[in-house]
Amino acid sequence: MRKANNLQYKRFYRIVPLPSVVVLLLLFFVPLFFTLSSAFITEEGLTFLRVLEVFTDSYTVKIMLFTLLQATLSTLFSLLVALPGAYLIATYSFRGKRLILALSAIPFVIPSILVVLGFVIFFGNNGFLNGLLMSLFNLSEPPLKILYSFKAIILAHTFYNFPIIMSLVSSYWEHLDANCEAASQTLGANKVQTFLKVTLPRLLPAIISAASLVFLFCFNSFAIILVLGGGPQYTTMEVEIYRQARMLGNSGAAAALSLFSILTTTLLLIWYNASQRRLARSETYQNSKRIIEKRPATLLGKLLALLYTLSSFLFILGPIVSVVIRSFMASSSRSAAESFSLKWYRQLLSLERATGHMGSALGALTNSTLIALLVALCTIPVALSMCIAIRRRESKQSFLELLGMLPMTVSSVIIGLGYYLISSRLRGGLPLGYVLVVLAHLVIAIPFVLRTILPEYRKIPLSYMHSSLTLGAGRIRTFLQIELPLLKGAIFTGAIFAFALSMGEFNATLTLANSSITTLPIVMYRLIGSYNFQGACALGTILIGVCTIVFIVSEFAKGGTYGR
Amino acid sequence: MADNGLTCSLKASYKDFTLDAQFTVQAGELACIIGPSGCGKSTTLQLIAGLLPQEGGSLLLNGQDIGQKPVHQRHIAMVFQDYALFPHMNVEQNIAYPLKIRKLNRAKRKERVARLLSLVALEGYQKRRSQELSGGERQRVALARALASDPQLLLLDEPLSALDAKLRKHLREEIRRIHDETGITTVYVTHDQEEALSIADRIIVMHAGRVMQEGKGEDIYHNPASLFVATFMGEGTTLPYSIIPKTLVNPSSSSEPFVFKPLEGKHTIFFRPEHVMVQDDRNLPLAEYLPHLSFKQAEVQSCEFQGDHYRLACSWEGHTILCHSSYRPKTQMVTLGVRSSRIREYVDGESIAKHPLSPTGE
Repeated sequence: MRKANNLQYKRFYRIVPLPSVVVLLLLFFVPLFFTLSSAFITEEGLTFLRVLEVFTDSYTVKIMLFTLLQATLSTLFSLLVALPGAYLIATYSFRGKRLILALSAIPFVIPSILVVLGFVIFFGNNGFLNGLLMSLFNLSEPPLKILYSFKAIILAHTFYNFPIIMSLVSSYWEHLDANCEAASQTLGANKVQTFLKVTLPRLLPAIISAASLVFLFCFNSFAIILVLGGGPQYTTMEVEIYRQARMLGNSGAAAALSLFSILTTTLLLIWYNASQRRLARSETYQNSKRIIEKRPATLLGKLLALLYTLSSFLFILGPIVSVVIRSFMASSSRSAAESFSLKWYRQLLSLERATGHMGSALGALTNSTLIALLVALCTIPVALSMCIAIRRRESKQSFLELLGMLPMTVSSVIIGLGYYLISSRLRGGLPLGYVLVVLAHLVIAIPFVLRTILPEYRKIPLSYMHSSLTLGAGRIRTFLQIELPLLKGAIFTGAIFAFALSMGEFNATLTLANSSITTLPIVMYRLIGSYNFQGACALGTILIGVCTIVFIVSEFAKGGTYGR
Repeated sequence: MADNGLTCSLKASYKDFTLDAQFTVQAGELACIIGPSGCGKSTTLQLIAGLLPQEGGSLLLNGQDIGQKPVHQRHIAMVFQDYALFPHMNVEQNIAYPLKIRKLNRAKRKERVARLLSLVALEGYQKRRSQELSGGERQRVALARALASDPQLLLLDEPLSALDAKLRKHLREEIRRIHDETGITTVYVTHDQEEALSIADRIIVMHAGRVMQEGKGEDIYHNPASLFVATFMGEGTTLPYSIIPKTLVNPSSSSEPFVFKPLEGKHTIFFRPEHVMVQDDRNLPLAEYLPHLSFKQAEVQSCEFQGDHYRLACSWEGHTILCHSSYRPKTQMVTLGVRSSRIREYVDGESIAKHPLSPTGE
């Protein structure tokens, strides 16, 4: 006998989530529909032949296997590099520890095209590392020749992803109850036994969870494979989808391939979510940090800690710093050595006649900035309205929350493919192209912004809203005067994230855009392709600047807005 | 039906819990809802405030049906357990929040805030941020904010539970004083029986979503309607009725003899520890000329010093009897006595109407 009553503010809650649902449906499901329909529908009508054909083709099977192989290897290597670091961070306190932890947030904000560029500049045959080794050991040949090979892919994935595992595992490790280890030792187990029988089993859920995330990233990796793989023999699913759609003009095959990708990604995400839930259940997370005052006791321990710290700095920061340095260098003539120069920035700002792809750099910068601004402005209301709706039905498994996270199940290349297929039907001009870029970025940014705002929204106690209502404020007024001011920080962080995401977005943009559409990462890609690395570095430095701002903002936001 | 005050009949069902509570609160009264955690007392408050939807039932405030009004139109103020002071506003902005909604002008707002702050004894706190306040101060600000809008009803949800014992005592006196000064009808939820007894005009005892007993504190303490209320509102000893023939001392000269008459069902007796007399010298008879129960050869199990009395737990034929004594017994074995007029009888947990021959209460 549940009576309809207005005291739950039905109208407010009915209207608020509407825009976000509509936006998500239009922006996400329409392109997806276009993609899937072109996988099944040919001129002859509905057919499963194309999908079957693609899935049984030996070439495709090879690609699928290679995709899984490279993701597995990359994850294993990331674990290998990350776990010692996680151990060091969780057990000891040493100089530079906080810096490592802060730096490990970088891979979360850095665009992949920048990783590619940094990798080329740092590890390349003429790169900083080879230069350093050559001058150190008086070599005439670069000792590391890893670019454009399978090794390069694995290495890039490892250095891009190991900080993720390191920070996730170590933060879980730090919060484990240290008394369990103490108890184990009082019960007669030695250190190794304690680690194997007490620490490791408790840590395993966190390791599995972090590794699944990294596997997912590597599985969907695009720019790194496209550039560093250096050829058709190292092609993964994502690259093949792009190649089929944009280079071979075979969008039907691309769509069929994306089926496999979507399926695998969804399964991985379900697995990841389950592992997260296991993680939450597995141990009562200690609020008080375990006391770590211990410094490494032995000389060997000290050396290892030092070595690990230094090499993490080198490998996380090295590529980024070398991009910045290279952007300020140019050779005055063909044979002269490189020296400090603002040449690339002058070309970038059109103060000097630019050559090659540098000519479109300034346009790309303005385009990217405008697109990113639009994306940031549009994601916020969508994410906010979803948050309100999600918070209301907190107790139930929220359909809306799932909806908001759905774009994550589809890689950005496939989102790009969907919008490409739309644009090929609509035959609009350049303005339409840019609109589609904005929409694609919007879809990609929404889950991230939602993930930024929703936890903060959940932190606001319901009693604040309730007390505002009992004090006589209506639902809308309560939202404007209580929720909105309290979420200011999170909204700002979310907007900055969306801005940076859009500035650095490469995969979807490359897949959907025709050659006349230029954004910063696209021009960077073209510059790398034509071996104008310094020019790419100048553009990359601007991207680094944007990422640095995001990085600083997100570090500040960790402090929380209002301590209660 | 009363035109003044609150008359409610609340019905709501949740996954593992049904609430069905009827009670009234007179205008100007301070009523306490008390019960163990999970009994539905906070749910009751949220239903009155409109924060949870009702299913049927009625809710009358000063003769007006408010059951279908949205929260913000009910004129019911509420002080939350965590105070819910808005962290992005200072004390003045918090208290002025409902005044702004009612479109009071700036000067009037300022004046009213100052008056409310002096009511809760926090003069000059206008510019403080809520993070800078102590728990007790936050509680007072929350109270001032709730009172700012001149509500017709004030709801307090365990307002003192987050504070330490000493402050709690002081603040409950303050709440009582503020209530007497404003005369506002108040419903106060607590799980602390001492708090309820000391502050309330009327106590409503709840258990498992139902009202078990409603009345003055003295009534509820001395004549609990059920064994649950008896044991929840203070300590006591429960014994089977069948021990009476063994222990009854019935002086023939008494004008109110006690007759043993067991009833169907689980027939038990209950008495409070302060009504037990402790005699440590076996040779002296209990100085009692009225019908009473006498428990001979009770062994003292524990003796706790409580300041103004000793709290004893004695074992008698496998039963534990709680009693208060003004001195520490010198012997291990004592004799305990309880006047039969202090004994309450229950069948299956419910109080029974006293049968004709049992003593009438005081």
